[in-house]
Amino acid sequence: MSSAATQPRTRLTIERRLNRNAGWTFTMYLSATLIGLALSALLLWTSGADVAKAFSALLKGAFGSQKAWIGTLSKATPLILTGLATVVAFRAQVWSIGQEGQVYAGAMGAYLGCLVFAGLPVALYLSLIILSGIIGGALLGTIAAVLKDRFDVNEIISTVMMNYLIVFLLSYLIGGGPWTEISSTVVYQQTGPVPDASQLPQLLGSKKLHLGFLFAMASAVVCYVLLEKTPLGYEIRALGYNPVALAYRGTNIGRTIIMVMAISGAIAGLAGVSEIFGTSHRLRSDTLYGLGYTGIIIGMIGGLRPLGTVVAGIIFGGLASGALYMKLLAKVPSALVPAMEGILMLTFLCAGVAAHYRLVRVGDGDV
Amino acid sequence: MSELFSEAILISILASTVRIMTPILFAAIGELVTQRAGIWNMGVEGTMLTGAFTAYIVASSTGSVWLAVWAAMASGALMGLLTAFMTATMRVDHFISGLGINLLAGGLTLYWFRIYIKGRPQPTFDGFDSVAIPGLSAIPWLGEILFTQRLLTYLAFAMVPVIWFLLYRTRWGLELRCLGENPKALDIKGINIVRRQYLAVMIGSVMTGLGGGFLMLGFSDRFLADITAGRGWLAVVAIIAGNWMPRGVLAAVLVFALLESIATHVQVLSLNVPHQIFLALPYLASILLLMGLRRKTNQPVKLGIPYFR
Repeated sequence: MSSAATQPRTRLTIERRLNRNAGWTFTMYLSATLIGLALSALLLWTSGADVAKAFSALLKGAFGSQKAWIGTLSKATPLILTGLATVVAFRAQVWSIGQEGQVYAGAMGAYLGCLVFAGLPVALYLSLIILSGIIGGALLGTIAAVLKDRFDVNEIISTVMMNYLIVFLLSYLIGGGPWTEISSTVVYQQTGPVPDASQLPQLLGSKKLHLGFLFAMASAVVCYVLLEKTPLGYEIRALGYNPVALAYRGTNIGRTIIMVMAISGAIAGLAGVSEIFGTSHRLRSDTLYGLGYTGIIIGMIGGLRPLGTVVAGIIFGGLASGALYMKLLAKVPSALVPAMEGILMLTFLCAGVAAHYRLVRVGDGDV
Repeated sequence: MSELFSEAILISILASTVRIMTPILFAAIGELVTQRAGIWNMGVEGTMLTGAFTAYIVASSTGSVWLAVWAAMASGALMGLLTAFMTATMRVDHFISGLGINLLAGGLTLYWFRIYIKGRPQPTFDGFDSVAIPGLSAIPWLGEILFTQRLLTYLAFAMVPVIWFLLYRTRWGLELRCLGENPKALDIKGINIVRRQYLAVMIGSVMTGLGGGFLMLGFSDRFLADITAGRGWLAVVAIIAGNWMPRGVLAAVLVFALLESIATHVQVLSLNVPHQIFLALPYLASILLLMGLRRKTNQPVKLGIPYFR
């Protein structure tokens, strides 16, 4: 410390950690957040916006008042669900990005249920609608799992392709097909409004927050219990760590992958149900667009843990909600939010790697 | 039937097939190099989107399509640098880092696009004109289909034998393929693995950016969000379906482009089916292709697996 001359010359080097250190990990993720925010500020600055004004409008619009909080939680609802769907799949190292399509499938399944079960008592009607949405999402997830298990088709590619296919199917159904809103002369690419009886009840007397939020919270608890406390959860985590050992133990890997994708799809499907029957009250694609892709970011930033995903979902719900306020007040396009999400995802990925390393000081002779 | 397959329509379908092949072929044949080096770039879609966006900005603000082409390649290089940093330097899982890059590209292009067109009608530009090759373009049928295309289309097809030669007939190509099969052997020989991986990713990403640029300059006069619409992913599927061989990749790209070309001619063919069915065909075909594919004999053994010394 006193003088370099008396001590052997040393230099800093990076070495892989054998065990993780909570403090260091926290420091890395904190740096990732700060670097991500700094890069977003740079992005704002390059586009000539007033950085401080934009960020403060974003924050205020997200968490500044009770009304803002309600808007935030309402936006967070589908994102938490798609985030949880990501957690279940990615913990098993099944790299499904089918959440996007499963949201659509869930919404379409529920809309079908809403047509088929019309006239039943309200409680039963609502339950059947929600159930058909869950089944819709789960079915699409299962297809990808079967393709992977039986035909060795990479799940990333099959889920991406199905994301496109399902959008074309919806575009046909609501843009000229049987579900197109009739009464109007112009085709708006949407269905007519869903019946009042099928709408999810609102919470706290607000016009925005609905029963879907409680579903998201309940799903987080279910995911936690499933992953941490059940034999299936053990298999899911083991599939991620060491599939070979799991196979030797006698577990049917194919069946586990199908379970993972069905559960993941079901949760994503619930996001579609909640968005259509809780918020937009008609089936249209622009309200569903991007929920699945954002869910991937939220699940990753939440550390692939249910609690972390809820927190990340609320933060990103806040950004989505505050973006509208920012657009009005600071004249910044709300597309800043998806750009920020992409930036934060990459900085968090780097932090995840850096958490496994440490800086050490070694003498010249050691290397 | 006779009216359905009249000569003019058939020629038009095949000629536009060749044009539609161009962007996917650039990306697929370039990413073949990247994948042969063991890097599974899942960010092709985002890289292509970035190329298309950059080409739009440059073409619509300067009016020069060739400047736009260079800019698209430069933006591809930038995305390649990011991809290489994530996969070769940070050694993040290739799949996850690719997803991150796609999401980043989707967000950034949308943001800058909104900034660019704020408060004015969207600027347009004049794209490429077709260049008839003297002599060859006079051949009946073939002349119109193959030899009355845009310059970059000729380049894309020329790249197939060039990449084949590089991969299979040069020492550099042998070492690059070895990188995907047994990087340790190269490491022991004293070759800088990370530098080679960077180069392989850059080749793929620059060509993908170029493909994105052509998608913009050869087909349209205005940008839309998510204009690539899965073509980057189709390039990845073409590599798998083509069993990591240049001619196989070419064949797979041809299948996708033919399907898309038929979809764009549905109106002319006056078939009484929803047009969405035809739009969905390339994506459906890619799943079916991968399902029918049992043989993956040429898949690099270390594809997508980060190398630790």
